[in-house]
Amino acid sequence: MTERVEVRQNVLKENDRIAGELRRGLAERATLCLNLISSPGAGKTSILEGTLEALGGTPLRVAVLTGDIQTERDADRLKRYGFPALQITTGGTCHLDASMVQRAMASLPSPDLDLLLVENVGNLVCPASYDLGEDAKVVVLSVTEGDDKPLKYPGIFRRARLMLLHKIDLLPHTRFSRDAAVADARRVNPEIEVLETSCVSEPGLGAFVRWIEQRLAEKRQAGRPARD
Amino acid sequence: MHELSIAQSIADAAREQASLNGGRRVLRIGVRVGEISGVAADALEFCFGMTVRDTDLDGAVLELEPVPVRYRCASCRHEFHPVEFLADCPACGSTGASMVAGDELGLSFLELE
Ligand SMILES: Nc1nc2c(ncn2[C@@H]2O[C@H](COP(=O)(O)OP(=O)(O)OP(=O)(O)O)[C@@H](O)[C@H]2O)c(=O)[nH]1
Ligand SMILES: [Mg+2]
Ligand SMILES: [Zn+2]
Repeated sequence: MTERVEVRQNVLKENDRIAGELRRGLAERATLCLNLISSPGAGKTSILEGTLEALGGTPLRVAVLTGDIQTERDADRLKRYGFPALQITTGGTCHLDASMVQRAMASLPSPDLDLLLVENVGNLVCPASYDLGEDAKVVVLSVTEGDDKPLKYPGIFRRARLMLLHKIDLLPHTRFSRDAAVADARRVNPEIEVLETSCVSEPGLGAFVRWIEQRLAEKRQAGRPARD
Repeated sequence: MHELSIAQSIADAAREQASLNGGRRVLRIGVRVGEISGVAADALEFCFGMTVRDTDLDGAVLELEPVPVRYRCASCRHEFHPVEFLADCPACGSTGASMVAGDELGLSFLELE
């Protein structure tokens, strides 16, 4: 006798459970967590370097986790700014999952943070499926990749709260249309916020750093949840 | 290529559900795969076969149900498959539609012996 049982559950339920634990832990400490996602080489590590540099003079407690399939290179770059920076080497896996982040967080010198920045593995597809307990996914689209990416990789643009149009200094050398990229991103995600950034010239990373400071202020206002 | 991790998650979820149902053998697993879930059906089937070989799930059939992106119009409630994610409602012409399906990745049923 065969029987058919209806089930309604997310395939990534176990990841979601751990992400939920992470999210509660972050909320208790009022830690803002951002998950940076882009294709390889779009500029995630460079943006984090600039951000750490900008936050260096502030009293903020910051830490960075950076995912890479093979190397420790990104963490080596990020360690120079005086904040803890840990590499998560995924050993072949094309995305970070919540358990990797949970293990890495346990190795940080202290869990008491204002800001946790996570650089995902360079990939526009797989990381989009995995909740890491973050407050927001930030998708980085560099202008040399082409303005067609939001419709080609709708999953990540749908789930991201913020899109950085990055390497905007190179715009004159490309056929990238910022209007088309923004319009297409808003087709898949009408709420997505957009900022333009560059690590080599104007407008710099100021808009992104201010965006982070606004989110930090919101997070602090939301306060610590009552324990039940 | 995260289909291998997804396949393992499906196998884990199926085992959990099967044990909740008296530990019976799993013959078939239904999974809904949204159009923008980022999962490639062929790769997932291949990885699933690899993951369950010589385990208690060996021989279980993975039945993938593709779920196209669907929008619902905010004005007239009409549901449609958008052209390149455009929110223009083909029924009433208004532009206020939002996505109601297409990004899921979920177990839908198990067939147990
Ligand atoms: N012109 C220009 N180049 C940039 C900018 N930001 C980063 N780059 C360059 O882009 C290349 C890749 O930058 P990374 O920061 O390593 O990119 P990533 O996204 O961390 O790369 P992966 O971790 O390998 O996925 C480097 O050569 C950077 O110097 C920018 O704003 N303008
Ligand atoms: Mg990097
Ligand atoms: Zn309508």
